[in-house]
Amino acid sequence: MMRERLPPPAGSRIDRSRPVRFEFEGRAYTGYAGDTIASALAANGVWCLSRSFKLHRPRGSFGFAGDEAGSLVQLDTEPNVQADARAIEPGMRVHAQNTVGGLEKDWASLLERFERFLPVGFYYKAFHKPRGVWNWWEKIIRRTAGLGRVDQSWTPEYFDKAYAHCDIAVIGGGAAGLAAAAACGAEGLDVLLVEREPELGGWLTYGRMDSDDGVLDDLRRRIQALPSVRVMTSATCTGWFADNWLAVTQGNRLHKIRANAVIACTGGTSQPAVFRNNDLPGIVSAAAVQRLIRHYGVRPGLRAVVLTAGDEGYAAALDLAEHGTDVAAVVDCRPDPPTGPMAAEAEARGHRILPGHTVREARRDPQRLQVGGVLATRVTGRGACAADGETIDCDLLVIAAGVAPAGGLLAQAGAKFRPIGRSAVPRLESLPAHANAAGVVAGAATVEVALAQAEQAGLAAAADLSGSAADASANSARPDADESSATWPVFPHPDGHEFVDLDEDVTVREIEDALAEGYDDIELLKRYSTVGMGPSQGRLSAIATAAVTAAARDTTSAEVGATTNRPPAVPTRFGLFAGRGFQPVRHTPMHGWHVEASAQMMTAGLWMRPAYYGRPDERADAIADEVLTVRRAVGLIDVSTLGGFEIRGPDALEFLERAYTPSFRRLRVGRTRYALLTDEQGVVVDDGVAAKLGPDHYYVTASTSGAEQLYPLLLWYQAQWQLDVDIADVTSAYGAINIAGPRARHVLETLGTDIALSPEACPYLAARTGKLAGVDVRLLRIGFVGELGYEIHPPASQSLGVWEALIDAGREYGIRPFGVEAQRVLRLEKGHVIVTQDTDGLTHPHEVDLGWALGRRKSFFVGKRSIEVLREKGLSRRLVGYAVPDRRATVPDEGHLVVRDGEITGRVTSSAWSPVLDQAIGLAYVAPDQAAVGSAITIKAAGGRLVEAEVARLPFYDPENLRQAM
Amino acid sequence: MTEPRSPIDDAVRAAGAVVGEHAGVTAVTDYGDPEAEIAASRRLGLADLSPLARVGFRGPGAREWLAARGVELPDEPNRARVQPDGSIAIARSWTEALVLGALRGADSVCDRLEAGAADGHRVRAYSLPRFDGMFWFALTGASAVDCLAKLCGVDMRESAFPVGSVAQTSLARLNAVIVRVDLGDMPVFHLLGDSASAEYAWASLLDAMQEFDGRPVGLRALHALAREFE
Repeated sequence: MMRERLPPPAGSRIDRSRPVRFEFEGRAYTGYAGDTIASALAANGVWCLSRSFKLHRPRGSFGFAGDEAGSLVQLDTEPNVQADARAIEPGMRVHAQNTVGGLEKDWASLLERFERFLPVGFYYKAFHKPRGVWNWWEKIIRRTAGLGRVDQSWTPEYFDKAYAHCDIAVIGGGAAGLAAAAACGAEGLDVLLVEREPELGGWLTYGRMDSDDGVLDDLRRRIQALPSVRVMTSATCTGWFADNWLAVTQGNRLHKIRANAVIACTGGTSQPAVFRNNDLPGIVSAAAVQRLIRHYGVRPGLRAVVLTAGDEGYAAALDLAEHGTDVAAVVDCRPDPPTGPMAAEAEARGHRILPGHTVREARRDPQRLQVGGVLATRVTGRGACAADGETIDCDLLVIAAGVAPAGGLLAQAGAKFRPIGRSAVPRLESLPAHANAAGVVAGAATVEVALAQAEQAGLAAAADLSGSAADASANSARPDADESSATWPVFPHPDGHEFVDLDEDVTVREIEDALAEGYDDIELLKRYSTVGMGPSQGRLSAIATAAVTAAARDTTSAEVGATTNRPPAVPTRFGLFAGRGFQPVRHTPMHGWHVEASAQMMTAGLWMRPAYYGRPDERADAIADEVLTVRRAVGLIDVSTLGGFEIRGPDALEFLERAYTPSFRRLRVGRTRYALLTDEQGVVVDDGVAAKLGPDHYYVTASTSGAEQLYPLLLWYQAQWQLDVDIADVTSAYGAINIAGPRARHVLETLGTDIALSPEACPYLAARTGKLAGVDVRLLRIGFVGELGYEIHPPASQSLGVWEALIDAGREYGIRPFGVEAQRVLRLEKGHVIVTQDTDGLTHPHEVDLGWALGRRKSFFVGKRSIEVLREKGLSRRLVGYAVPDRRATVPDEGHLVVRDGEITGRVTSSAWSPVLDQAIGLAYVAPDQAAVGSAITIKAAGGRLVEAEVARLPFYDPENLRQAM
Repeated sequence: MTEPRSPIDDAVRAAGAVVGEHAGVTAVTDYGDPEAEIAASRRLGLADLSPLARVGFRGPGAREWLAARGVELPDEPNRARVQPDGSIAIARSWTEALVLGALRGADSVCDRLEAGAADGHRVRAYSLPRFDGMFWFALTGASAVDCLAKLCGVDMRESAFPVGSVAQTSLARLNAVIVRVDLGDMPVFHLLGDSASAEYAWASLLDAMQEFDGRPVGLRALHALAREFE
């Protein structure tokens, strides 16, 4: 039963024909479609939604606008849901957060009795001694002070992102936002209007107007008539970054909006007053009661007291009285008699007004978790009131302390806000370029002023974009709000519990104590006291904090200043940041074949490569079999991931000479040469093979891991050298297949090719082009694994066909594919270095025995001078091959240290069990005096076991290089 | 002889593609329902045009060499021009061109250009193997702009990116060339990128298309629409 519902027209957002059943704390409730969780519960007389962060005091929503920690609740699969912003859904199960044993009887509320042991900054002072005790305390503190629970068995939802563009983004769809969007739209600009609520209109949809002159309908009509104005509702702008990059969340999508100009019409935030027990459920803002009445048809209470510092409180009192709530008193804390049309009307209607009074303390209803009455006393000075006064029973306390400009987004963009004179309320002082503001955030106190500001802002933005000379920041520093909030309603109480920050349970005394301890800079104060660090990020506490600080320091809020605003402006689900990330993946043309053939795939940069073929439990055997097949018969490996660059043009040779270390001047067409690349510091950065395909045409390969970085590096060189050459990255345009083993030539001959393959016609290091399996291919007679081998480069679109043809033709020779793991063993047996595995960010060629690849007679190549200097300095380490004589010893892993007399002299870079040599072999950096063949080295292997190894001559396998030259 | 295959051959076949020869090209003709694919193309369709011819040329002599062979490049970079035979000539820079073969029928322009590549080399118009190096998809229909907004940061609305525009940008974090050449009043965005990432790009696009009820379509549907707009 919803006992507190009002008849229509109250309740513009609810559909009374669609009841919605849901649960809160295990009890069933009914609301209507369109209700928020909090409005539906309020309609059922439930105001307490959660327990507070530190002291576990009962809390509810203050503003009913989705701003505070007090309205955070837990859903089954989602923590920290704003109960006053999330719509109810059928069957929804809602739980209070931060309780031990339930909302009604929260055992953790006993903490309040120990409050004096939890002073400001207590966690900086306690729990740190004896050493290590923090680890124990941390678990307890996190459990006690936590917010919601993350359900780790939750099935992830689909979140994504989208881009949008516009001339003008208008943030906020209230009166000012609508008028600004309409003004820009009328100028023919492409406008995006972003509104946080599900409907346009803002305050006009719930506020009390002097007269209903159809302002809202007129604005909505104007917007609808303008096709160039796009409207996003239920969309929240959470960030305003450089160049008007706006982050806007809507449902499960993060919109990334680029606007040429932005008009902020973000309105204001109703502020709490500060007095004892100002945190009780049932203490709400004037705007909240108006929302409850007009949006949700909820009668907010039976008997209300209104505490006001302006005319808004009287408007709320009139609204309450008209909707069946007995208004016991309007307590006006201003020293002067009330003025303003609403106050006059309230007086005329006979409402009881207590001018010059405040609420000294609120008292809890002994039967319920909400306010039950107030003590109203006379204001005796700035922040002071009499101890004795009148006790008034009520179940609703309405606060109209004042409205702060919602300037967080503007401040992110660089706008400055600052209170004027002795006022506590910040005013817009200046705007960044291509930004404007209108409405409450720009200081407007009436709809008329807001509309005028908005029209002006729209025209200024249009002029700004057209480049005309109009003042683009027309609305900066033009407040028209009165200064009624100059004395902010902050009333410290001897017994405390006057909360400055409801999110974090920070009281006036804690602020004063922090100041007394020397944390008197506003940023330090924030971090030490945690004021402003909760979900509302200071929106409801910054003014009071500045006021308390100003009073304590006998200065003004303007002098106290404000903390930095950072995105996101409001609590944002992680899914919105993380959702639908894009991670490109590269597949070789044979990818599908490998998967079908039970390859275990591994990543290599963005590429997917077969590690080995077979089941994971057969890994070692599979790798060994693949190795032995290559050594004894023939295997083939997909090396399409190797980089491939076409270097063409009259200066192609000159380019290679400068970029790579060897000399290519004597390289003939049809031949290949090892191509080593170093950077300007002489560090080895990549290697490959350069094949000369024509007089000024080279095809250069690069390592899988290095290709992506190498191409821009080569282009960078060319940008500097301006040679007559073209460099094209053709990595993906060609597949590459390395067929290796003593039967490799037989397989190619069986398959059929117009390339002469005899050792004389196609010797080691030859480069040929021709047809293989009917496909035009490039064929390089090179090998990485130390056997007779050919690297075949067909066009990518035909590579699978060539691969399959090779498999078919090789069947009679025992061919099988091999993966990266087997290749690593094979090349290790042959003593070949893998750049980035066996080299690091300091390795120069002489350390890894690649001095032979340096063109010593060349006058220049990148890194030449550095390498010469490094060589003159002498080597500090060398990469050597080692073998472990004890076949029962632990096989070292890559990264294990080489040690001598307790000192580290190097590390292992490659390690494997060689099935051919039947022993553990590897490559390791050692001290130069350990590098001689036969030297004993000690490797500290897994578990700290010391493995004795011996420096071996490289290559381990086929030292005469007879097999690859077959 | 090994026939060229699309880099997403496995993916389209798994999705039920009928692969056959249509108007001289072996490609996905349809996914079993050509009529529905015509309607889908108007709404949001994704076609794999990778089996169609395309070739690139770059170098100081490229523009002149192509002009001598009847290819009229746009006057400035990042623009595309439809040629009389239906092929599309794209200026990627002052010295680089990409020629996409005509949607209908076996192409002769690209074949002719490739056959003369050695000649081009002599005048510093270097051929670039775009057929093998780049996938080529077409995203069609009324929702194409909204769909691309989920993958690409460039404003693809017609007011900012009219017919003939070219963007060399990031598509789902993949380097891509996006070209707008509509079929009549139906928006068509040609998408080209690294062929090794074709499966990734195809899957990313289909994922982004879901909310618009988009689907893959075959060449038969696009040819029907092309005829309609002739």
